[in-house]
Amino acid sequence: MVQTAQPIEYKGKIVEFPLDNPAEKDIPDEELHEHLAKPSTERTRRLKARCRWKHASAGEFVEKGVRAGIERMKLITEAHKASSGRPEVIRRALGLQNILEKCTIVLQEDEFIIGYHAENPNMFPLYPELSFMAVQDFNQSDYAPQPVEESKEIVEYWKPLSLQAKASKYFNPVDLARMYNVSTMEAPSFATGYNSVVPPYETVLEDGLLLRIEMAEANITKAKAEMEKSPWDATKGLDWIHKIDNWEAMVIACKAVISWARRHARLCRIVAENFETDPKRKDELLEIADINQRIPAEPCKGLKDAFQAKWYTYLVCHAIDRYASGFAHKEDKLLWPYYKISVQEKSFQPMTHADAVEMVEMERLKISEHGAGKSRAYREIFPGSNDLFIFTIGGLNRDGSDGCNDMTDAILEATRNIRTTEPSMVFRWAPEGREKTKKLVFECIRDGLGFPSIKHDKIGTEQLKYYAQFSKNKNGATDEEAHDWANVLCMSPGLVGRRKTQKTRSEGGGSIFPAKILEIVLSNGYDWSYTDMQMGPETGYAENFETFDQLWDAFKKQYAYAMDLVIRAKDVSRHFEAECLQAPFTSAIDDGCMELGAEANALSEQPNGWHNPITTVVAANSLVAIKKLIYDEKKYTMAQLMAALKANWEGYEEMQKDFKNAPKWGNDDDYADEIIKDFYEDIIGGVMAKIINYSGGPVLPVGQAVGLYMEIGSRTGPTPDGRFGGEAADDGGISPYMGTDKKGPTAVLRSVGKVQKNQKANLLNQRLSLPLMRSKHGFDIWHAYMKTWCDLNIDHIQFNVVSTAEMKAAQREPEKHQDLIVRVAGFSARFVDIPTYGQNTIIARNEQQFGTEDFDYLKVKL
Amino acid sequence: MSTCENCSYFFPVPKDADDYEAGKGDCVTQKKDEKGQYWLSKPVVGPTEACSAFQKK
Repeated sequence: MVQTAQPIEYKGKIVEFPLDNPAEKDIPDEELHEHLAKPSTERTRRLKARCRWKHASAGEFVEKGVRAGIERMKLITEAHKASSGRPEVIRRALGLQNILEKCTIVLQEDEFIIGYHAENPNMFPLYPELSFMAVQDFNQSDYAPQPVEESKEIVEYWKPLSLQAKASKYFNPVDLARMYNVSTMEAPSFATGYNSVVPPYETVLEDGLLLRIEMAEANITKAKAEMEKSPWDATKGLDWIHKIDNWEAMVIACKAVISWARRHARLCRIVAENFETDPKRKDELLEIADINQRIPAEPCKGLKDAFQAKWYTYLVCHAIDRYASGFAHKEDKLLWPYYKISVQEKSFQPMTHADAVEMVEMERLKISEHGAGKSRAYREIFPGSNDLFIFTIGGLNRDGSDGCNDMTDAILEATRNIRTTEPSMVFRWAPEGREKTKKLVFECIRDGLGFPSIKHDKIGTEQLKYYAQFSKNKNGATDEEAHDWANVLCMSPGLVGRRKTQKTRSEGGGSIFPAKILEIVLSNGYDWSYTDMQMGPETGYAENFETFDQLWDAFKKQYAYAMDLVIRAKDVSRHFEAECLQAPFTSAIDDGCMELGAEANALSEQPNGWHNPITTVVAANSLVAIKKLIYDEKKYTMAQLMAALKANWEGYEEMQKDFKNAPKWGNDDDYADEIIKDFYEDIIGGVMAKIINYSGGPVLPVGQAVGLYMEIGSRTGPTPDGRFGGEAADDGGISPYMGTDKKGPTAVLRSVGKVQKNQKANLLNQRLSLPLMRSKHGFDIWHAYMKTWCDLNIDHIQFNVVSTAEMKAAQREPEKHQDLIVRVAGFSARFVDIPTYGQNTIIARNEQQFGTEDFDYLKVKL
Repeated sequence: MSTCENCSYFFPVPKDADDYEAGKGDCVTQKKDEKGQYWLSKPVVGPTEACSAFQKK
């Protein structure tokens, strides 16, 4: 049955916690989430019911019939063969043109935002030119593109031309083998092809592509005139060659995109005139045809235009030109001008606020059925998810005014109504942000979506200003532009707007695994529990470390080795991306590339280097336990600890209990927190910050776990924090280890707030009491908590508000719990799509209760 | 021999279209599966020998 929080005595009175919505009193806790979806229209209800979800669980697609298409592979390969001898950037543009001209286009019933990236709505495309290994992986699977023999031939064609073939030779084979094992570090992107991008959507919506073509053609004309100047000066004149090629490639790409959009317009007209029998839908199809004839060729004139132009830009940059994860943009800011035109002024595409909400719901469903051709390894590390689709709202505008507007609210209302796990959302929390919008943020969280995740507005803005000083062309973000940021993927802020956005994951992204590094540090760099390989330099055996400082230094050396290697791998990838994986459409819509005749992967105006330490807290808690029990109290020797670890604590149960009971992160414990703060600031961030990447700036840590806390947990042997080998690691970047934060929610904040130096971002997962959050005091408690979080200068926080009763009920009868959503790490997932191993890690997270001490600390008015 | 241009799924590309070529058309087919109805459009050349889905105009 429904549980409500018990009354408490607080400040001399009895405070009760009745449900905020009394109608919920008859809904059992075990099925609450099944009653929360409320699509705002019949159309979005139908679209959700027939959504072609592309989620994977344990690497397998959940829905029947999902598989890889072969069309894109064939067309890119055909174009590459036909364009031999042309400049590489032109070949890339011709490849995109060939795909867009000859691909099958898709129109589904009921949809208003149209366009898909494969030959069938149940399929997703593959990218042999990006990673032949990923295609090889699909060829061996049930999702293989057909005919598979043809797919195999395509793989063979691309092998010698691949990024992997080009980049590998600059690495020692021993180092490569260590990376490919994915135990202390992620495999190199030149092999995996996993990528992300932040398209400059603004230029498409504001300018339209015809103007971008005009700009590129004018630049070509000017360049040729410069080359013809007398007297000839080769030191300047030859620079134009490369630029002219880039501009020509931009023209080819933009023309291809316009033509492709107009093919969609034509399809709508054909269906309206030849197939559709419903007169209302027939009219709508003709309206869609009109939009797609104009958009994205011309500037957007209303909100419907803007949604469609955004979608096409997304498809090309993220899924057709090349694969790129993410959905990074600041949606409320981007759409606000068009909301004003259509909803407030009603001067073009007039609609109500409710219509705008429906548009957002439709976009969410469009994302939900967008398939990503990720290899099995990358499907496994996002259990229950499709791909990392994450956008940002809220924060402050350039002039410091509140960035929340009615479009922000429409986005939040739609998200709450339609209940899909994707796209995930980030809300930039600023004290100045309006309470009306924050209430909607709370409603999404209270209803268990796990998002918006919350980022500290000022920290993000200051970070972009900091990075701007390292700009290689002295054109990093201005102080005003620094306000225009969105999370690039789960956690890291990056610029959005007309230029200077991040174009490749080789700038930021990729993982390193401190828990596994600690494990090998104890064994002279040797991984005895998983790979049975030497995984780093020989830094000594734990038994010979006479002081804690020696252990600390050994960790530093192992970590520095792995960090240098992973960043070098990304930068070498970047070098070759700019040489053979150019993105001429992305270049065309970036003002910097357009002005400078530069290629999107090559040009870096705003540095944004980061890398993701995952499993940091297991390593940190282990160091605390070692220091306390071995070096300070001398209760055990290192030899005893190593024997216990090698035995996976079997026969050492009392000892394990001691190590488990050693102080843990997240309890505002000075002993633990002092060591862990130093670990974050001096090693995790300090060592990383010494590295300078492709863009000329330092690399900083973005602690976040995705599903790798499970994957790497399963590859990490027993650890001195008392954890068994193979158990999941910590689920955030700075989250306490599951179940070990026992001093309440404010103690967690006080611990986390101590880490400030050398960090870019750190993911903090918290699970809040469902009865408290659904009570009439829920918003006030949460709001006070968030103010404290902001005052403590903490970068990030996100919440699960879901009962253990409902999660256990879903484990028993998954078919009855299709709408139960949980926050895993930087993404949310349907609980029933997560493997049991992962489900249990969510259940094990401590459900924070608020006591009177917490209320006092937070200054909650009850 | 049946050709694409004689098929009821063949819709010639209009002369003012960006991708116009003489004889080129869109092959538009209606599909239905358990998730619902959708339409596919693929460029074809009119005089090409028709596929097995050919349906006379």
